[in-house]
Amino acid sequence: MSPSFRRRVPRLLAAVALAASLVLPASAGAARAADKLVLRVGTTQDLDAMNPFNTALLVGYEVFTLNYDMLVGFGENLEPIPGFAASWTQSTDGLTWTFKIRPGMKWSDGRPATSEDARWTLQFVVDAVKAGKSIGLGYLDPYVKNAAITTVSAPDAETLVVTTSRPNDRVLSMFVPILPKHVWGSQTIDTIADFTNDVPVVGTGPYQAVEWKAGQYARFTRNPNWWGNRGAADEVDLQFYPDATDTMVQAFKKGELDYIRNPTADQFDQLKTLPGVTAVSAPGNGFSQLAFNCYDKDIKGGGASTKALRDPAFRDALAYAVDKQALVDKVLKGYGTVGTTQVPPWHTKFHVEPTNLRTFSIETARQKLDAAGYVLNDQGQRLDKQGKAITLRIYFPNSNADYPKVAQFVSDWWGQLGIKVKARGYDAGTLTDILLPPEADEPGAPGKYTANYDIELWGWVGDPDPNSLLEIFTTDSIGSLSDSQFSNARYDELFTLQNEAATLDARKGYMAEMQNIVYDQAPYVIVYNDNELHVYRTDRFTNWHNQPADGTPLFANGTYNYTLLQDATATPAPTPTATPVPGETPGPSVAPSATPAATPAPGGAGGSGGDMLPLLAGGGILVAIIALGLLVWRRSQGGPRAPEEE
Amino acid sequence: MGGRYLARRVLQAILTITFIILLNFLLFRMMPGSPERVLARNLPEAARAQLLVRWGLDKPLIPDQLVAYVSATLQGDLGESYKFRGRSVVDVLGERIWPTLILFGLGEVFAIILGLGLGAYSGWRRGGAVDYVGNGVSLILYSMPYFVIGMALLIVFSTSLGWFPTSGMYTIGASYSGLEQQLADFLAHLALPLTTVAIGLIGQYSILMRSSIIDTLTEDYVTTARAKGLTEGRILRSHALPNALLPAVTLVAINLGYVIAGAITVEVVFNWPGIGTLTVIALSARDYPVLQGIFLLLSVSVVLANLVADILYGALDPRVRT
Repeated sequence: MSPSFRRRVPRLLAAVALAASLVLPASAGAARAADKLVLRVGTTQDLDAMNPFNTALLVGYEVFTLNYDMLVGFGENLEPIPGFAASWTQSTDGLTWTFKIRPGMKWSDGRPATSEDARWTLQFVVDAVKAGKSIGLGYLDPYVKNAAITTVSAPDAETLVVTTSRPNDRVLSMFVPILPKHVWGSQTIDTIADFTNDVPVVGTGPYQAVEWKAGQYARFTRNPNWWGNRGAADEVDLQFYPDATDTMVQAFKKGELDYIRNPTADQFDQLKTLPGVTAVSAPGNGFSQLAFNCYDKDIKGGGASTKALRDPAFRDALAYAVDKQALVDKVLKGYGTVGTTQVPPWHTKFHVEPTNLRTFSIETARQKLDAAGYVLNDQGQRLDKQGKAITLRIYFPNSNADYPKVAQFVSDWWGQLGIKVKARGYDAGTLTDILLPPEADEPGAPGKYTANYDIELWGWVGDPDPNSLLEIFTTDSIGSLSDSQFSNARYDELFTLQNEAATLDARKGYMAEMQNIVYDQAPYVIVYNDNELHVYRTDRFTNWHNQPADGTPLFANGTYNYTLLQDATATPAPTPTATPVPGETPGPSVAPSATPAATPAPGGAGGSGGDMLPLLAGGGILVAIIALGLLVWRRSQGGPRAPEEE
Repeated sequence: MGGRYLARRVLQAILTITFIILLNFLLFRMMPGSPERVLARNLPEAARAQLLVRWGLDKPLIPDQLVAYVSATLQGDLGESYKFRGRSVVDVLGERIWPTLILFGLGEVFAIILGLGLGAYSGWRRGGAVDYVGNGVSLILYSMPYFVIGMALLIVFSTSLGWFPTSGMYTIGASYSGLEQQLADFLAHLALPLTTVAIGLIGQYSILMRSSIIDTLTEDYVTTARAKGLTEGRILRSHALPNALLPAVTLVAINLGYVIAGAITVEVVFNWPGIGTLTVIALSARDYPVLQGIFLLLSVSVVLANLVADILYGALDPRVRT
């Protein structure tokens, strides 16, 4: 028989099994950084920029509010709380704000942080607004514009004086990070968009980015000079799972993540049954929309594929053929509400239901299309007025697992109208670029932006003030915020009126008309107000707070909640150092809360024994592979010229 | 080995690579939009102007651009990434190639040893218990896509049992006290993706090896060997196995070309920072310079793998050397 060969196979299998068994128990305890407490947060969005002016994503706002302070922050109920400024007063005529900057405050690199930094930052934005330019993507300058800031000055290192052209308190809710002048000072409006703001970032926020791997993660370490309450986390890791929601959920279940934003509804339902897990479904201050490319001029090498999208009647007809309730039921599994206007019901003071509410009907949509002159040809294709069969491209970001499903439904409904739909997902940063029209081009470098899309399926998350969501449809926003390229003179006029309205009622009145204009003209079909679905573990961190009460702990407004977190393993422990005081007010409390060094390594399945074991196992496997490989190879190859051939 | 055989193979490989470079040049210049829009998107003005000069993008396609492109490529200048701002394509690829090489290199080694071993044994003991079970298992593994295997392993060994981390190559932000700790962390992260790759390949290698051995056993020279009174073991080792290995070598070499397809799914499931995840990122970000680099890298490595296979083939089978 063949004893030698037969022996070899079991030997090989045994070696592999042995090697495998060595590596199995060893891996669990491998390289756990026991001396620091890390908050690990998973999100489906992939950070698009470390430069605050270049981000269009919620995760980008989270990142810059970790890195930097805004002049004034947001508290638990979205009230103004100290940020870069410790306190502030408003003059009796309401036009002058005086901010006091903390004496002795420092940037994370140890340089003094003074009113001059705040003055430089705000002045930079004021200058851009005056010059009619937008900074980077242009998402942040509207805050300064809408606050009507005219001058900024720093009479001394601890005082910042801001004057406005009319009395308003929007200066207290500006998402404008105060930047270190000694890092950013050499930037101009033309160069700032190219500034990558590489890690390690210098800021005054609670945590600064020290490492960023696009598509993977960004790591933030505690700011040694942070002036506020110290959260328990020594480090915050944001992990990005674009197009990989499943993996994110698995990592969360295993305990590799403490917090995840926006799993799918099915996953959320499953996760909320797990012990030690808190699931938050918060009515979102935002919505998801089908945004039509309404750009009304031809764009060389870009633009919409049909002029029909410029016609409100065409858009209105298509809006009839979107069954929003079905999307809420089947895609969101009820975690959301049917969407109507750009001011979500979350803004209870300002939301109105549209006067001419549409009811889903394919038949109505057909009739409206026929009436508007978009007829079917004999192959059943809907033609535009140039006689071309209409095919619409829907682009969505790959950061949301619901959008492919929505596109599928829409494709079916519009298919019944004779309109073909092609859907495709993109990296969020790339999609932002695709959406921009020529207005976003740098002067002298035309042709970069061509708004080459028909429909964008994406969403917005609003601020505590509805301005940012209203702004999207203004003519001025074309080239920055606008993803529909919608332009309407009356809307622009109303936007200014509501922003400057003296009373809440007056403001609401203008806003009601604005909501109806957008609904009727249909640059957007707002499909749903999706809930924010957040899930977190309570075994490592406690003292999670929602912001506001019916909101979410993280990815809210600013990063106040990070500073409230406490070490879950430290609280019940008898160790004397391990009782952090829940700092209700963000004051200069320097009390070292819960030094994790004093506590044993956080739990996990790990036996901590034998750091050498994995190495041995690994080495063993390698040697086994190589040796066996050589053995098999030499035997089989040596065959033909083997000397033993009798 | 005959020098002429070797020279011919090498020449062939060089010709193919030349053709690939030309194709790469044309492909990304035939895309809609001007080449500088495709290849120099999202660059700061200065870098953009520099690239225009370096690649002669403002000059005629042939010969200026072609010459500039070929000389740039030969010097290892593949352009600037769009998604990874401020980094060159070579830099991005360089960082990502090692994880893929390790993952698939080791995976192939495992699969070759286990798959070919299992196949040879099954074929040799055709109808035996090992053959019966092994063949069945191989068929199942062969028909399973990587992401199914990967997700199953992930759920069982990571989420449920908690033995291995779910994703990545290292624990994020871990500080290691020494090299051995880092290696241990790496191996823990490597275990599941590596197993996925190996399992995915074992099936097909084993099936091929089995039928190949069975074919060989009916050959005249095996009968002759038997008639000469050689032991079964020697017949297998000296006569059947070497001949049966020939198709296996071809399969392994061809497989290297398909590695990328597998790489994408395995790497995405485990968020392994290799060429596969890079391809997905580059595709969804329309990062053409990086895609171009990946395309070049992959096609060149397939050509080289085939060259190695040809040489190996020559070593294994004297008949092909002429």
